[in-house]
This record gives sequence, structure tokens and C-alpha cells, in this order.
Amino acid sequence: MTENQPSADQRKANPLLKFLGRLGPAYALLVVVGLFSVLDHQFGSQSFFSARNARVIANSAALVAVPAMGMTMIIIAGGIDLSAGTALTLCGTALALAFRDYTVPVGAEDATYWVVCALAVGLGVGIACGLINGLIIALAEIVPFIVTLGTMTIFLGIGQVIASESTVYPETEHLPDWMRYLCYTGSNSDRYWFDWLHVPSSALIAIVLGIGVAMLMHFTVFGRNMVAIGSNPATARLCGIRVGMTTVAVYAFAGIFVAAGALLYFANVKNGNPSDGTGKELEIIAAVVLGGGSLSGGRGSVFGTVVGALIIKTIGSGCTMLSIPNTYTHIIIGVIIIIAVLIDGLRSGKPKWLFDRLR
Amino acid sequence: MKRMSLSAFCRLTLGLLPLLAFSAGCTSEKRTSGNTSVRKIAVIPKGTSHEFWKSVNFGAQKAAQEIGDVEIIWKGPVVESDTGSQIEVVKDMITRGVDGIVLAPNQKGGLVDAVEESVGEGIPVVIFDSGLDEGPKISGYVATDNFKGGQMAADALAKAIGESGNVVLLRYLAGSESTEQRENGFLEAIAMYPEINVISSDQYGGENSTQAKEKVDQLLQLHGDALEGIFAVCEPNANGTLEAIKNAGLAGKVKFIAFDPSDALIEGMRNGSVHGIVLQDPVEMGYQGVKTMIAALNGNATEEFQSTGEYLATPENMDEETYQRLLKPQIVD
Repeated sequence: MTENQPSADQRKANPLLKFLGRLGPAYALLVVVGLFSVLDHQFGSQSFFSARNARVIANSAALVAVPAMGMTMIIIAGGIDLSAGTALTLCGTALALAFRDYTVPVGAEDATYWVVCALAVGLGVGIACGLINGLIIALAEIVPFIVTLGTMTIFLGIGQVIASESTVYPETEHLPDWMRYLCYTGSNSDRYWFDWLHVPSSALIAIVLGIGVAMLMHFTVFGRNMVAIGSNPATARLCGIRVGMTTVAVYAFAGIFVAAGALLYFANVKNGNPSDGTGKELEIIAAVVLGGGSLSGGRGSVFGTVVGALIIKTIGSGCTMLSIPNTYTHIIIGVIIIIAVLIDGLRSGKPKWLFDRLR
Repeated sequence: MKRMSLSAFCRLTLGLLPLLAFSAGCTSEKRTSGNTSVRKIAVIPKGTSHEFWKSVNFGAQKAAQEIGDVEIIWKGPVVESDTGSQIEVVKDMITRGVDGIVLAPNQKGGLVDAVEESVGEGIPVVIFDSGLDEGPKISGYVATDNFKGGQMAADALAKAIGESGNVVLLRYLAGSESTEQRENGFLEAIAMYPEINVISSDQYGGENSTQAKEKVDQLLQLHGDALEGIFAVCEPNANGTLEAIKNAGLAGKVKFIAFDPSDALIEGMRNGSVHGIVLQDPVEMGYQGVKTMIAALNGNATEEFQSTGEYLATPENMDEETYQRLLKPQIVD
């Protein structure tokens, strides 16, 4: 709560400075991009700082950023969702099943109708997963960490049941072209939504959804209530906010983003494998945290999350360009997450012992 | 109130700018050709953690040294089930502007569009180890004849159990083309023996030995006494199976044929708990993969499918030189 209350000095400060101060994660991204550009230019393949690489990174970041938007809302509302990864692949598996068994080849009569139905199934599964999480958390009053730890394996299990413990391959000819090329990053203009704008469709979806969530967070009562219950649920309740209802709504709403993320995942790998999701939730949470989200609630931004996802994927790409082995890439990403949160903490006077000594 | 909402709006539009700036304005394409004398070939394995791929790497490096002026870029996903990461690696290699990509696809369907993207950008692709679905025009396919390997395993298992009894086939992962071929080959050849009964062929061991061990534990629990033989279709599977057989005290009693060697399996063959290992030649695979790619780059036509051979090591022949080389293929660290 204290972090959200601007002090008297801050209130007087130049709004521009205040605005620039909020761009923290973006500076980190610039530093990472700059660093890798220089290193790559000197020692690497000289192809890191290129339009194509921007597309590839934007696409892979979108795969993380979209489900992370839902996670941002949950984290701002003081929760956490460990089930996001397996819920995502559960949705993806449902989509793959729908496209395997219940659709008709593209071009056939009613093809569009069946595609819409399949997408609706995916969306429905996503919202249902979120709703289950939200209802258990609100009604049983168990901490979100435990509830979603449970649902994480439940969703994994359900996914394995519907996929008969294997990978579900859809019929390729049932997939409409726009979905097939959702994650296309090549140089063929016909495969982008706008042939004059070579931005992967997945990134466009992420941008549209991002603007939507940011508007929701800033301009609606629901959005402000989310921040309120995340900052201090007791105060929020005293202010007349229905904490339980809002919690359920937040998780269900986040389910939409899990479903959208599942669509991107499915369009990327063209199949549904329920066990792919294990570990994805940590990448998603990392994006939120890198973007300035606080796991104690009340703080975080969609913009930050998008930047966080870009940072993670930029590091991964940069390491590939420099031929750094996978093992070191993992170490580098871990170190950067911790450093980023450490620097973020400095702004709010943490660690306390250091500031006490400086005084 | 108005000011606040205005600044908020400012923040969010400006906020999403980086993503746009990051990805927009990409209509002008530039490819830095660099020095063309050294040809860069990306070799992308299914995963980087198994010994098998390190031998492939060794073969690829060997070919590169022989040809000269060829640089091998070795990169793959950490775990073999991670199709998303492998797609990312392929895309990154296209970005790096390599001259050719030699790829062992994790999934026959999942990598099709990534390969198509690569071919579309003018980078030829040679597939090795495991097949790819129909679609993009690839420049060659270098692999073990896995179907034949599966048949050899079936014959070896039949011989070991005296051509009668109950056997189990432990599958690997759904969608992995190479192991599916082995499974199909095994089932077809084992069906030739009227006295042999396949009591389980629908279990998937999964990507690591721990999962495979759990599966086999269950299978042994279920069929234990009635079971004569097991065939595990790849190395992680076979390692887990061997552990499970030992734990159940059935070593030597249940005849066991593996595919691909490991230290544990070789040791098992010495002490009688493993009765045969079907071997491939990973070094040859990496070697031929790179050779094929260079031939394609030079405009020489290559055969559509090149087999790198398959061999059966048994406790009797395992000390012969050919089999020693294949049981302990050289690796790159």
C-alpha cells in the first residue's frame, strides 16, 4: 500500500519525470538490446539487430506475453496462478482435438462455422479453468498458491485424459490459413495480416489485447477494484468492494488470456501436448515480475509485462546469436531476473539494511 | 480526474510502443552476407542432453573438417519434447543467415511450417534421424532405416525367448517419427511368430528414464510372471526399463532388447540382463547430413533417402571392433 501512495514531493514532481520513472523495465530492455547488439556485432553473427530478428523475438515474446497479461491482473489483485501453464496446454489440447475430430476441411461448406465453434471451445475451456481457480480461492478461502498448485496438476491430468496420454495432431487441412501463419516470421508478405506491415500476427494480437487490458485496468471500476483488493483486501472490503466476487472475476477473466495464449501456442506447434505446459507458468510469472509486478499484490503493469516477455526472449535470442550454449542461457536469464527485481526494490527503499546504513 | 485519465492513456499508448517499434518497419529486408568463403551449416538435434546427439555432432564436425571452409553451428532444445523451443532455434538460425540447416525434427508435424519458412527464405534444409510430414521441399533425408531396425529387434527378441511367449513393446512419445517406425517394424515382424503374443503395445515410456521406469514398474506388476520379453524403442526408454527389470528381480529372466546403447545397457549385456541392442550410427548420420547439405549447396542432386545402417549387438558379438565402435561412438564435449 505504501508504495502506491505518492509522497508530497512526488506529487509536486514534474509529470514528465514521473512518467519516465515508470518506464523502468523499458530501460532494462534497451540495455539488453544495446548490449547484445554490440556484442553480436563484435563477436557474433551480425544478425541480432535486424528486422527479421525483431519479428522472431516479437513472435516468441507474444507467446509468453499474452497469457502473462492474465497473470498480471491476477498478481495485481494479490494472487498467483501456478496453473497457467498447464491450463494453457489443456486449452491447446482441446483446440487440437476440436480441429482433429469436429471440423471440416477448409473450403468445405460450413468450414468457418466449425472453426468458430472450435475457437469457442478453446475459449470456454480457458474461462472454465480460471473460474474453477477463482471459485475455490474465493469460496474455500485457501491461499491462491496452494489452490493453483493443485489445479496445475489437475489440468495436466485432464489434458492427458482427453489426449489419451499422448500428443493430439489436428488435421492440417482443417486449419484456416490465418491460423496456420499466426506465428509466421518469414519475408512472404501474403502471410501477414497486412502485407505492408511485416509484424507477426501473434504480436498484433498481443498488442491489441495489451491495450485492452491496460484500458480495463485504468478506466473501469473493475480494474481499480483489482488494484484495491491486491493492495489491501481488508481495506477494500471496508470500502464496499465485493472482494470474493472480484477475485472470481479476475481469475475467470485471466482465463480468456490463457485461451488466447493457447491459440498462439497451438498455431505455433500445430498440435496439443498437455505436458508441454509444465514450466510455462514460471516463464509467464517471470515476465510479470521482470515488468515490475509485485508478488505481494497491488503493483504491476501490462506494459511492464510485455517488456518483461521481450527481455526474456531477447536474452534467449541474443545468446543463440552469440552461440552461447543453452545451459548458460538459463543461468543468464535467472541472474537477470534477480538483478531486475533487486534494482526495482531499490526504488522503494529495499533492501532495508542497505538504506539504513547509507543514512 | 480528467488529468489523471489523460496521463493514464498516455502511459498505455506509449507503453505499448516498444512492442510496435520492436516489430514494425520490417518491410526492408537486409541480409548480411558476410564473407562467403566459410559456409555456415546449422545442425539442430532433437535435444542436446543425450549422448546420441553428441555423436551426431562429432560426425558433423568430422565432415566439416574434411570439406574445409565449413562452420558447424550446433544448437538445439534442451529436452526432446520441447517443440516450441526447436521451432525457435530454427527461426533463430534463419535469422543468423546460415547457408543451410540440418535438422532432426522433434515432431513430424510441428516443424513443417518452420522448415517451410526456412526454404522460403532460400535456406535449404536436410532432415536427419526422424522424418518430417509432407510439405516443404527438403534437400535430403538421412536416417537409420528405423522400420528395419524394429524388425531386427523383433527377430532378436523372438530368438531370445525361443519363439514363444508374451512380450511387451514400450513406445516412446507420440508423434516422433523415428520411434514410430521402429514400433511398427517391431509389431510387423513379431506378428510372423505365431507363438508370440504381444500383451502390451500401447504404453508410452515418455521422454526420460524416470518416466519409463515408472511405466515398466507398472507393466511388470501387471504381467510380471507371464512376461517373457520386452523391447524398448530408444535409449532413455531402455535405461528406465533396465532399472525396472533389475528392481523387480527379473534380470535375465525377462529377455530384454534395447535400441541405442548407453553405459548401463552395455554393462547389462555383459552381466546377462540385456539380450541385444539395436545400434544406429549417429556419427555417420551427422557426417552424411552435413555432406548431403554441402552437395545440395553445390547443386549436386542427392538421393531422397540415405540409410546410415542399423546393426544388432548381442552378448556374443559385442567385443568385435565394428560393434565396439557403435556401442561407444565418439562424442564432442
